[in-house]
Amino acid sequence: MSDFLSVFSIGLFQNTLRTATPVVLAGLGVLMTDHVGIMNIGMDGMMLCGAFFAVLGSCFLGGWVGGLALALAIGLLLGAFFGLFVIEFKSDEYVIGVALNIFAGGLTVFLLRTIFGVAGAFSGTDALPIHPLPAIQIPLIRDIPILGSLLSGNTLLVYVSWLMVIISYVVIYRTPLGFWMRAAGENPEALRAAGKSPEKMKYLASIICGLYSGLAGAHLSLGYLTMFTENMSASRGFIAVACVIFGRSNPSKVFLAALLFGFIDALGMRVQSFNISSNLTSLAPYMATVIMMIWVAWRRERRQLKIAKIER
Amino acid sequence: MKKLISLILAVAAVVSVTASLTSCKNTNNEEGLKMAVVLAGATGDRSFYDSANEGLQNLVESGAVKGRLIECQNDASMFTTNLISAAESNDMVVAVGWEFWDVLTECAPQLPDTKFIFVDNGLDGIGDNLLSITYAQNEGSFLVGYIAGKLTTTGKIGAVGGEDSETINDFIVGYEAGAKYANPNVQVQTQYAGTYEDPARGKELALALYDSGCDIVFQVASRTGEGVFEAAAERGLYAIGVDSDQKYINPDVIICSMVKEVGLSIEQTVSNMLSDGTWNGGEIWVADMSTGLIDVGYGDNTMTQQVSDELKEEVEQIKADIISGKIKVPTAFTSNE
Repeated sequence: MSDFLSVFSIGLFQNTLRTATPVVLAGLGVLMTDHVGIMNIGMDGMMLCGAFFAVLGSCFLGGWVGGLALALAIGLLLGAFFGLFVIEFKSDEYVIGVALNIFAGGLTVFLLRTIFGVAGAFSGTDALPIHPLPAIQIPLIRDIPILGSLLSGNTLLVYVSWLMVIISYVVIYRTPLGFWMRAAGENPEALRAAGKSPEKMKYLASIICGLYSGLAGAHLSLGYLTMFTENMSASRGFIAVACVIFGRSNPSKVFLAALLFGFIDALGMRVQSFNISSNLTSLAPYMATVIMMIWVAWRRERRQLKIAKIER
Repeated sequence: MKKLISLILAVAAVVSVTASLTSCKNTNNEEGLKMAVVLAGATGDRSFYDSANEGLQNLVESGAVKGRLIECQNDASMFTTNLISAAESNDMVVAVGWEFWDVLTECAPQLPDTKFIFVDNGLDGIGDNLLSITYAQNEGSFLVGYIAGKLTTTGKIGAVGGEDSETINDFIVGYEAGAKYANPNVQVQTQYAGTYEDPARGKELALALYDSGCDIVFQVASRTGEGVFEAAAERGLYAIGVDSDQKYINPDVIICSMVKEVGLSIEQTVSNMLSDGTWNGGEIWVADMSTGLIDVGYGDNTMTQQVSDELKEEVEQIKADIISGKIKVPTAFTSNE
């Protein structure tokens, strides 16, 4: 038993944080579109593009700043593209989402092979190194015994993700802009009557979502790892969608959901050393997702029952 | 308008996928055997599949065959389709990856005019048109395990496997036996990723192993394993490569690689058949230590060498002992014993 408790080491929590961050960034993007009434399941593919272009920028545009900029630019483009189809042409958002995922898989493989001349993985060469995102040491916090190693020494985008959780929360629930965005999803006609265009809000949300996908991708290929490999997003975009549904699009709850997911995943990896089958442990995050979803559905049901009782 | 745009999008998606598939080389020769190599995964793992592709490209360059490469990208639904379509237009089909077991059992008897080579798993009793090549990866892993057992300073070493399957476990069983042979007190911890495509997961698993006191980690996980090398670099500890000599990826942390010459084994089989018609159809050829196709790679002399020359000599002695049968390496395959 004491052996089992050794699993709960500082490494477990560092692992949780690392695993959660790409999901948090992707989730922040997905929740923006969810507020305006669009579900973007194309996040996984958008992230993958972000990851590829971050590496491309880092190699050819001189350093991580170039990588981040290119990832954001591609995110913006994909977000606008998604918006164009869903809002302007009123295509089905799920079809466009699936198309984006397939498109991103093919495009990144094709570009990886033509630009870098390698298949599968690119982790930089001596002539063409990948410049990773900087890790940031926070002077005083670094010296706090246990928390220090969690709060300090992370790569740039980890801090950006924390900051953006707070900013997103404030913007969505405390500013007129956030109010208009939510109205665009919940009651677009009322928003139109108030003289605001719901379409504009939807475009704005799609583009913000795209920018987040760039951040999530850049974090994956320049922060978490320093390489690009085919399909490296590995369904993290879908986990983000699940976290958004679980957290009911509230940034702080989505953040917690992503941490929970990261924690279960990290725990799953570690309990393997206690002779628990790896097939079971790698199932853990997905099982947790299903349980989360059932819980969400059950709560919604109960709430509706309550409302029905009051109305009667 | 909406429909048109959706159509264009769909076409773009299809084109980008096919473009990525056809970007691999397809050399045309007028004469010679027509062969196709079908990979369960895709090239770019810098180990197993790339080695198979290298074998094909060498054969094509030598002018012996006319060949093409087909990648299934780990999509199981493509296995049957790709294998049958390859068989229809080629004289010989090389199926690379143990995943083709079911498909070959079903298809090979129905396509008697095509010769099949099944790489990385043994199937017999199917028919004369199917030759299987398996590798004694347990013997090669024994060698790298021995090196790890000698070099570890913490007495704990680790392994990251792609998934909990017989072939992967065959590596790990050999690795563990080798480490124990070098140092009976050494502890071996194994973690499975459950995926061959997620380097971030590989990195986390390796970090967890390093955190628990391991100082050398053997990766048997294709692209997931790329993350293991990064974890090693981050911690300043060591890793061991697999299938190809992977030392060049990061010579400072990769001490050696367990080499399984998949490409060479395909080349040898095909050139033997072309030169004197040798075709051991229906049999399983176990490429073991004595064939020279299983080995340890240390990179080249320009790279930092963590393994001393004395240790390399010991490894040579063990190799000889394995070939002579003095050392019996355990295997994870129940059928091969």
